[in-house]
Amino acid sequence: MSFESDLLAILPRLRRFAASLSQDRADGDDLCQAALEKALRARDQWQPGTRLDSWMYRIIRNVWIDEGRARQRAARTFAPEEAGADVGDAGDRGVEAHVMLSDVDRAMQALPPEQREAIALVLVEGLSYKEAAEVLGVPMGTLTSRLVRGRGALIAMLGEAA
Amino acid sequence: MSMIDEAMLIAWVDGELDEVNRRRVERALADDPALAERAETHRRLRARLTDHFAPVGEEPVPDRFRTLLAESAAVVSMERPGRSRWRGWATGGAIAASLLLGLGLGRVSGGDGEPVGVRDGVMVAKGQLASVLDDQLAAAQDGAAVRIGLSFRRKGGGWCRSFEGEALAGVACREEQGWQVQQLVPGTGPETTYRQASSGDARVLATVDALREGPPADAAQEAAAREAGWR
Repeated sequence: MSFESDLLAILPRLRRFAASLSQDRADGDDLCQAALEKALRARDQWQPGTRLDSWMYRIIRNVWIDEGRARQRAARTFAPEEAGADVGDAGDRGVEAHVMLSDVDRAMQALPPEQREAIALVLVEGLSYKEAAEVLGVPMGTLTSRLVRGRGALIAMLGEAA
Repeated sequence: MSMIDEAMLIAWVDGELDEVNRRRVERALADDPALAERAETHRRLRARLTDHFAPVGEEPVPDRFRTLLAESAAVVSMERPGRSRWRGWATGGAIAASLLLGLGLGRVSGGDGEPVGVRDGVMVAKGQLASVLDDQLAAAQDGAAVRIGLSFRRKGGGWCRSFEGEALAGVACREEQGWQVQQLVPGTGPETTYRQASSGDARVLATVDALREGPPADAAQEAAAREAGWR
């Protein structure tokens, strides 16, 4: 099996992870594509025998963090953050995406990045705490406290019936 | 009130507790309806998130990703054949070149009628395209109108071949009805002496990659498969 076929095999999961971090599905695919391009360029850094999915989760997460910083700078220029869902659309796609946005998407977006990525890896991707902590490069205790806070916030936003 | 904190409760929901702690939580849940309700809320939250994003993981992978990966695989095979799975066909370098560079092309249709038709509800190759798929070996096709790219065994058994001509390119697999066309994309266009790998080629490569089991046939395997009537 080649590097590319291995990537193709895990791509459905990578797209899902990217979608759970991103504001909508289109942004998720853009994130996934940027991460794939990065991975193909850096293929020599992947060590055969180690988990390709963990390596890819890490790359997606790093690209997302970098893009998030850039987006935040841009957002501060255009609109106050609390303006939320009603303003600040970049174009037609943004308007459409907001219309389609579900409660779950909105609640995930409201989480701080460090809670969102922990929730995405464990609750969406089904990683164990140990695997998720390794992807994020944090101790287990840090991961579990992010999970506790993130879940509490989600339940508060989505209601007890979650 | 039980001594189970929120972290331990969600670790129970996530299946992260060892046997001792798992029993401890379960005993507490049995005694404490409020705690049990809280656990149920966490369980529902987890299910809701999983269900919400599951469709993304179940969709077919969009073409943009297949194309990206196919192009990367093709470039790597050309740059360093020794390190990739395409070694099997890169050793017959002419085969790779024919697929990627589109050398020496001709027409598909020309006196033999249409290259593709429907037989018993199945899209099959006809005329000259069917003959090429039946008879032409990738190792010997100088000046052929339609060129064979790769011959390979598909998952679940049977032979498939990729082809490329001026009007069309694609992949066909041998079935009872003939060569069932699995993919058809525009060909290389009017004859040129040199052409960069196009997105069409990448699409064909992606299909080959999705269908094939094991490496593509080498010249000897291809000849043997032809002898056996591609069965």
